[in-house]
Amino acid sequence: MLVGAFACAHTPQLLARPDTEDRDLVLRVHAAFARVRARLTALRPDVIAMVAGDHVEAFFLDAVPALAVYAGRECAGTFGPYRYRFPIHEPLARAVLEQGIERGFDLLYTQDRPLDYAFYVPLHFTMPEPAVPLLPLHVNVYLPPQPTPRRCHDWGVALGDILRARPERVALMASGGMSHYPGTDRYGSPDLDYDRRLLDALREGRGRELAAATGEELDKAGNIELRTWLVVLGAVGAVPADVYCYEPSWHHGNAVVEWPL
Amino acid sequence: MSAGDEAHYRFPPAAAYGLNRCLYLVKSDDAYRGRFAADPRAAAAELGLGDAEVAALLAGDRDALVGLGAHPYLVFMADLRLRMARGAGSMEYF
Repeated sequence: MLVGAFACAHTPQLLARPDTEDRDLVLRVHAAFARVRARLTALRPDVIAMVAGDHVEAFFLDAVPALAVYAGRECAGTFGPYRYRFPIHEPLARAVLEQGIERGFDLLYTQDRPLDYAFYVPLHFTMPEPAVPLLPLHVNVYLPPQPTPRRCHDWGVALGDILRARPERVALMASGGMSHYPGTDRYGSPDLDYDRRLLDALREGRGRELAAATGEELDKAGNIELRTWLVVLGAVGAVPADVYCYEPSWHHGNAVVEWPL
Repeated sequence: MSAGDEAHYRFPPAAAYGLNRCLYLVKSDDAYRGRFAADPRAAAAELGLGDAEVAALLAGDRDALVGLGAHPYLVFMADLRLRMARGAGSMEYF
């Protein structure tokens, strides 16, 4: 069953803060993460199914899946001094993979790839205690051509159906966003207006409208990573969002959101 | 507009595969990052990069790298990981 749905920013400056970043802002995002952790503790999930956009970490140009399921025994990642290792919920991974294929989604699966920071930055702050297993779900966001927003939403509709029919208590979490343009000339000018308009729509339960966006629109708005949110939006439908925080830095719209189910 | 010719993130041309692989390894492979930091010319030679690619890497010239087909995110994060490895700037770890 699907017991919770969230979206979390994952910028690594939230984990390792250089002196270019406003410390108070970072701590306010941490406070929102703490609310997610408290909610997860109360929801008692058996597994966290996490939808994240790979930052060319698990998948390089030798093989670029649009949508992928991590179906190994465990997954691990490193970033600077940080070392993370999470057990995978194998029965749920197999069920999502097999039933996703049956429903017409040609999913790639892997049993051995490094874990991207998009997964472990939010988990560093939100994993409840005792920790629960993970189900990493990849979406290609950085290597064009990416899956269309509509496809990501439709995958989320199917994923939601699959999760609701399962015996496990599943918390679904998108990792990514909001507006940012790493490595480009626009790095210092995130599209905060786009973010705020979208958050207003999410609060009104109109998040599914994002599925009508084009890939070009998401790229222009610095929001290619919202493909991960679209998967969750497909799963939760018209549930109004509770926006825990929106903290725009000089380069990144940091948002933490719950869709109370 | 095909696959976003004006997009911030564009299809990585096959001709830039080696350059992007170099940036990917600097970003994600501790051993290669160490070799690159010690001797970038030799590390680039491992991947058979051309003179223009090596020159852009040595100069840390983002525009030149992107012009050669490098993915902007890889340029960005490879640079960040090199600076982290060198201990450049102060960092607060949570």
